[in-house]
Amino acid sequence: MKDYLDRTFDLGPYVPEEDDDLIICRCEEITKGEIRQAVHEGMFTMTEVKRYLRTGMGLCQGQTCGRLVKNIVQNELNKKISAEAENTARAPMRPIPMDVYGKEAE
Amino acid sequence: MGNIKCADMIVIGSGIVGSSTAYYAAKKGMSVIVLDKDGVIGNGASSRCGGGVRVSGRLEPEIPLAKYAVENIWPTLSEELEIDTEYHRSGNMRFAFTEEDLPKLAAIKEMNAGYGVNIELLTAEQARERCPYVGETVTGAAWCDIDGSANPLKTTLGMYRAARKRGVQYVTGDAAVEIQVVRGKARRVITARGNIYEGEHIVLANGYGARALANTVGVDFPFRQKLIEMFVTEPTKPMFQFMVGAVGAAGGAYGHQTEHGSFLWGGDSGYEHHPIFEEDAKCIQQTAPAISRGTMAFFPALAELKVIRTWAGWIDLCYDLYPVIGPVEEVPGLMVAAGYSAHGFCLGPVTGKLLAEVAAGETPCVDWKPLAYDRFKSIF
Amino acid sequence: MIKHYDLIVVGAGPAGLSAAIKAANCGMHVIVFDENQRPGGQLFKQIHKFFGSKEHKAKIRGIRIGEELLAEAEKAGVEVSLNSIVLGLYNLKGVSVMRNNQVEHFRGENVIIATGASENVVPFEGWTTPGVIGAGAAQTMMNLHGVMPGKRILMVGTGNVGLVVSFQLLQAGCEVAAVIDAAPRVGGYGVHAAKVARTGVPFYLSHTVVKAEGGDHVTGVTIAEVDSHFKPIPGTEKHFDVDTVCMAVGLSPMSQLTRMAGCKMIDNGGAVPEKNEYGETSIPGVFVAGDVAGIEEASSAMITGRIAALGAAGRSGFISDAEFTKQYEACVNSLNQLRQGMFCKANKGRTDILTTDEGYPLSMSLLTKGYMTEEELAKFTNLNAHQTGVHPVIECTQNIPCNPCQEACKFGCISVGTNITNLPGVVAESKCTGCGMCVANCPGQAIFLVNEDTGDGFATITLPYEFLPTPQAGEKGTALNRSGAAVCEAEVVSVRTNKSFDHTMLLTIKVPKAYAAEARFYKPEKEGK
Repeated sequence: MKDYLDRTFDLGPYVPEEDDDLIICRCEEITKGEIRQAVHEGMFTMTEVKRYLRTGMGLCQGQTCGRLVKNIVQNELNKKISAEAENTARAPMRPIPMDVYGKEAE
Repeated sequence: MGNIKCADMIVIGSGIVGSSTAYYAAKKGMSVIVLDKDGVIGNGASSRCGGGVRVSGRLEPEIPLAKYAVENIWPTLSEELEIDTEYHRSGNMRFAFTEEDLPKLAAIKEMNAGYGVNIELLTAEQARERCPYVGETVTGAAWCDIDGSANPLKTTLGMYRAARKRGVQYVTGDAAVEIQVVRGKARRVITARGNIYEGEHIVLANGYGARALANTVGVDFPFRQKLIEMFVTEPTKPMFQFMVGAVGAAGGAYGHQTEHGSFLWGGDSGYEHHPIFEEDAKCIQQTAPAISRGTMAFFPALAELKVIRTWAGWIDLCYDLYPVIGPVEEVPGLMVAAGYSAHGFCLGPVTGKLLAEVAAGETPCVDWKPLAYDRFKSIF
Repeated sequence: MIKHYDLIVVGAGPAGLSAAIKAANCGMHVIVFDENQRPGGQLFKQIHKFFGSKEHKAKIRGIRIGEELLAEAEKAGVEVSLNSIVLGLYNLKGVSVMRNNQVEHFRGENVIIATGASENVVPFEGWTTPGVIGAGAAQTMMNLHGVMPGKRILMVGTGNVGLVVSFQLLQAGCEVAAVIDAAPRVGGYGVHAAKVARTGVPFYLSHTVVKAEGGDHVTGVTIAEVDSHFKPIPGTEKHFDVDTVCMAVGLSPMSQLTRMAGCKMIDNGGAVPEKNEYGETSIPGVFVAGDVAGIEEASSAMITGRIAALGAAGRSGFISDAEFTKQYEACVNSLNQLRQGMFCKANKGRTDILTTDEGYPLSMSLLTKGYMTEEELAKFTNLNAHQTGVHPVIECTQNIPCNPCQEACKFGCISVGTNITNLPGVVAESKCTGCGMCVANCPGQAIFLVNEDTGDGFATITLPYEFLPTPQAGEKGTALNRSGAAVCEAEVVSVRTNKSFDHTMLLTIKVPKAYAAEARFYKPEKEGK
């Protein structure tokens, strides 16, 4: 069973913080404030934050920012995110040019 | 858990169909609860599809719905939801790769003409004039200029956000397992956790899962599950904005360049028709290579572009390849909107609008009868 | 065509190679894929000597352990496929690999994921400026590619990685402006900190980076002290002119392949697959070993690799139950020896440990500044028997699993005992011959040979020295104390090198005898650069 969440709570008004303009996802240049704001707008899981903002959708696929985004979302929600609820990983583990990908060995 | 919650409408499925239904119903003043078995909003087709928003290439019963969507809803949806859905009416080019497939393009033109959708047939040279990246093996193309694309992730989450703003209650991680009929009316949704949601209207907007739930009240739809895969590349300079598709053997391939600059491509290797089922759709080793080859046939210039992510999703494939939408007359209170057979994204918002209208007792913006659940007739 | 193997190992680091060797020796048809040009994983960057005991390859440099593993793998007939990127772990234990500019598909009867870990980052203003790099990245640049990561560096993080890399930066000829950590205590071994501190590098505990300055590259950095909530305290800012900021703020397992395959995941310093005692995940036949299962170190990785291989061999009938049990238990015993002591997992983050197992008071100065005071050291009566003539002085004051010093001395001068986390003790009755093996072998470079009074008003100190240029006998320089402060003039008496010292020079300096207890590092008169 997946994590149960009744999403009818309100996190209250967004309170800006001094380091809101700190870049968190380097590949897509998403800031801490954008992530915090996304949580306030209802993106209560890492996957929703990712799809909403593109954090973790760049070349490194979240290897650099994943842990940082998780901490920010946990802080904002005041709730721990389980390992199961972290972003999924998918192939290819490294970027691969299409012409190589299309060449399957006999 | 044993909680009981009530609302005017209970929607099962938080994807584009479910969230749109909730949004439009809430706009009409209804109280709505949306349930999803997953912990993440819209984790089915709504977050895995290619984002095509098209009218062409559909079967007759869906055309009025698609036309309404493209003419009345999509152009202003970003404004309505206060989010950039990245909707672009940038057209759709369908390719043929052999001489034998050319008549298929002509057939598409003829079929669409009957529904007032204009398709222009192009020779290979003409196609290349419009888009210099078109490959050498292309024999011809069919162009439709009212088709386009949008970002399914942002649109779905934008719809969810807008629905929540209007008071829609979402509960995730609570899987519906049974619909209960009370004195002849569908009234209750029971979940695996033992929670009960009661409402005047129950909407099944959860893809293939709609079938099992409908079964609990004696209704069935001829759906099966088919796997489909996509991948996305690194971003590159803007090359062309239109949607791409194909006919013939390459008919499974499709895609487009996103606003972000990355290319989204979909297709299959053949194994997908009889897949190993598991809840979280998994990629097959041979498929991404097959999609790569298909894409390079369309556009050789993309050969060096790096693929950065592949994924798979489940299609709720209806027997006659178009969705089941509307009230289920033998179970008053129950409505269904599922079985979109790989082309539901465009129709999500308009489905939501029409179901909300039906629930409110109004004349719906599009007639759902051609898409009714009881349309299936035996061959003999 | 899909090729089948009894075992597919992903990652040719210490865990992966050890697993492959064990599996091949059990008769399994094994292939190892690694994305790098060279196998050995992190081992080939690890130019320092390892801790532990003989069975853990203590006192041997990481690079040599890597070479030994490779030779063993070749001998066992393991197929090691380099420049091979594993793209994904699919259903049916399918592994697709990009190599030789094409994609190949494989299926394993068993799969061991040994992909290691990647570096964490800590964001601060300016952290995306070129010049802010991971400590591991700096180590790769220096030790694999012979490139100086920068000229003047600030190291963030005092875990073993931060301390070891700081020392290696100094060896490479870089300046280390300071080592900082937001935590109140040094996170890594005291001996690693001491090696760095005595060269003069200051430690700033309870400090964090406020800002890295510079436009297209780092030109400086500002740090500040933090309060109990780790928030910078205004007014405590300190500035350093540096061109590089190294982050050594921990590692996270690279468990993406197991995630993709659908293994049940749990949190262990990052998302890792839930596993049983043999490393098998929730998918039968898929195992994990090494850092990907939870961050430890190379010595533990080699053992967990062997355990996973035993699990796979047992699962597929390549080893008898009796033999499996025997080997498995031996591995577990070996692993447990490493997993004890002051720095074991159970103690992580604790700031309340005040004494060693033996009851000696831990040096607070070592924990907060990176060096011990003489007063604190004097309390460790086991470490210096003050014999006349040359005798060993051991400055190892924390319980860590390590005992090469005991083995090094053929004359029984040093004793650790059966529990390898015991503090070493100098045996007072023993006769030190001054051979220097203990000095050279101590992986922590914490042993000195001291003659407190040579009879002419001087004392001699033999210290381990791993810097260039090689000092010359007769040259004069300065002796530094444990905190890196200059204390007196020092004259080089001798510089000994020997194959058995394995690239650690034994530098003997002569200082006025009043400084016998203080002089612990040598700085040449003119920097050789």
